Amino acid sequence: MVALKFTLAPDAAARVHDILTCLARFSETVSIEARPDGLSFTTLNSSKTTYASFTLDASQFFSRYKCAVAGGDSQVRFTCRILSKALLAVFKGRILDPRGRDSAIESCEVSVNDTADERECRFIIKMFCNQGVVKTYRLTYESADVMHALFDRNSAHNKWTIQSQMLKEYIDYFGARTEQLDIYAEDDRVIFTSFTEKITNGKEVLKQPLRTAVSAHKADFENFDAQDKIHTIISVRDFKSVVSHAETLKAAVSADYSQPNRPLQFSYGAEGIYCEYTLMTSGDRSAPPPITHAGPSVDRPSSRTRSTTTTDQQNKSRSERSAMPPPPVADSRSAARRTRPPGSAKPTPSVLPTEMTNANIPEDPDPESLFIPEQDDARWDPAEDEDDGETLGWDASANYEPGFQATFKDSGSHPTSEEQHSATEGLAPTQRLSQVRGLW
Amino acid sequence: MRFKASIQNITTFTKLTASLASLGPIAWVRLNETEVRFTVIPEQGTQVWAVLSINAIFDDQYSIQSAADNVINLEVPLNSLQRALKSASQATAAHIRLTKKDGLPLLALTITTSTLSSTPHPTWGTARQQTGFDESESTIGEFGGGRERETVVTQEIPVRVLSPHQVDGLHEPRCREPDVHIMLPSLLQLKGISDRFTRLASGAKAVAAPKLEMAANMHGCLRLRINTDAMNISSVWTGLSNPELDPSQVEGGEEGVLEHPSTKMKRLGSADGKTEEGWAKVRIDGKDWGKVMSVGRLGGRVIACFCDDHALILYVYLSAEEEEGRDESVLTVSSPFNLRGVAC
Repeated sequence: MVALKFTLAPDAAARVHDILTCLARFSETVSIEARPDGLSFTTLNSSKTTYASFTLDASQFFSRYKCAVAGGDSQVRFTCRILSKALLAVFKGRILDPRGRDSAIESCEVSVNDTADERECRFIIKMFCNQGVVKTYRLTYESADVMHALFDRNSAHNKWTIQSQMLKEYIDYFGARTEQLDIYAEDDRVIFTSFTEKITNGKEVLKQPLRTAVSAHKADFENFDAQDKIHTIISVRDFKSVVSHAETLKAAVSADYSQPNRPLQFSYGAEGIYCEYTLMTSGDRSAPPPITHAGPSVDRPSSRTRSTTTTDQQNKSRSERSAMPPPPVADSRSAARRTRPPGSAKPTPSVLPTEMTNANIPEDPDPESLFIPEQDDARWDPAEDEDDGETLGWDASANYEPGFQATFKDSGSHPTSEEQHSATEGLAPTQRLSQVRGLW
Repeated sequence: MRFKASIQNITTFTKLTASLASLGPIAWVRLNETEVRFTVIPEQGTQVWAVLSINAIFDDQYSIQSAADNVINLEVPLNSLQRALKSASQATAAHIRLTKKDGLPLLALTITTSTLSSTPHPTWGTARQQTGFDESESTIGEFGGGRERETVVTQEIPVRVLSPHQVDGLHEPRCREPDVHIMLPSLLQLKGISDRFTRLASGAKAVAAPKLEMAANMHGCLRLRINTDAMNISSVWTGLSNPELDPSQVEGGEEGVLEHPSTKMKRLGSADGKTEEGWAKVRIDGKDWGKVMSVGRLGGRVIACFCDDHALILYVYLSAEEEEGRDESVLTVSSPFNLRGVAC
């Protein structure tokens, strides 16, 4: 019974892309909730330890925005769920690309008609490109209730705010494949430690990922008002996702938390976008106590105090806590990771790649050239061997194409998996297949 | 067992590590009072022996102590080391030391960097000699505005300490006297072309490991060729230099030079590289060669020694011009080609 229609300027469409990229790193599906005053994208990861929400302001973010209902009820809202991959494919990175003139858009119009006589659930996105080309995408959505995580700001007495660029610098120091991040303050320093819990002894010791501690001065924070000497541990991967997105907005990130094992919230906003992440934390790593979920807290005492501002808003519209949506069933990402019993707490381990490293690989200006200008050390790396097994998952870089790492694009016709095989498996073939198959 | 040093040449160390990391995941590092030796011996492919004088990387505050004649042998994961060093690229100071945590040995790299350039206060750039941050920082803080803060990054690299007998068997590969030795052209160029050749060959389906044929003569010619069922491409460089042998370094002195295989090769072939005589050839795996070429990032002079049909050894001299002579840091890359499966 709801008709939703909005128009995005190219800049805003690019922002939506950034948001979707970030959301895709948490879950396979994204929930969309439209209200007369704005639109929000939310997601909850499969282990329900991380909740992310991006609220777009109706008047500030959109060129035009209309969410109307036949009856004129002001409490109207429209909720649905879409595969983030599908949505991301529509808003892919070229939208603002100055080089890709043909793919640059003039505006983007999205409409949804959720009426009784409409039989199909279609999210219709029209991209108005240059030269009068209109690309229309019809995405199937699933009508679903949207869950919101509650976060009680009143009890979160630890607060700090810092520019996202600073955090970006910190996460750049972190090694690949670490799982957890410990935030710890002492005296005038704040220490971010990225680490992985001990693996086995013996030969495996060398495979233990780097443990990186970044000790920053409290004065580097815009404000820092948190208790010293408590270890708050979250997932590095989530943290990196948050920081990478905040950095696209050049926003200052605020963190609010109470104590280990209670949720922590990151929030920031700019340009009509307001972002909130509620993450589960774990405690002192020497003796990690049992962890509760950060997700839509089911009958948790902490939700007794309803918080203010945006959370209030969400409370109103929140579908009540009775039905927690089942985790996405065939979640290939979680399948690719280490399997964990569903209840066994801990922030999601980030076995998954640090997409950041991918994003940082500079694109080769002219891959065909033999003589490339000197400045880039990466070019000395052996050809075709860039893959260190980290390409699983979503690419955080803007060029969202199947080729993942730009460095791969001129690497001949070898699938990378085969390469890894030949690299790890002893002897290289000494005879050409063509010779072996000479008989045929 | 103690090892502590401050890294004065972060770029060299990083590039060296990156070059080694492309050849194998793990390096054996031998530290003593005068030099550092990195050895990479992967299960197959190219071996590297890199010997650097202490001050090529570390500064004078280098200190080492161990029960075994002040020698420490470590097994170091190169990727982690490389990642750790990468974060030191903008550092004002970097220290490394061997330590233990929870009973496990690790190399701790402590990096001090100035705060991000976008800090609204302009004073950060005046690089001050880094001491402890505590006292000096607080006094500056009192004056307000003097926000020259430092971020301290600690990277902990897991390592294994090897006992002397574990590394007893480790010795530099021996090889017969080379037939041809030649100074290679710009490695960037060579890499570009050989990578291109390799790609062309692997582009043809079903060729798993394309073999490059490298050849050189004693008249300044180097030839790179790829030969598959479908094609035969070659590139020839001419006018390269063949360094003279130093009689004092050759077994048998002057006599030895006269009898040296390269002296004999000199009588064959020509400077335009058009005759078929006088070439010493090896066949090498294209991909492996691509990895070896990554030593080019160090920017040293590279002398290739060809043992016809047997092996190719590259000597990379790092401290090229400044320090002629013994003090040079040498990176030896030897690539046993596998036509006969002879390992050096």
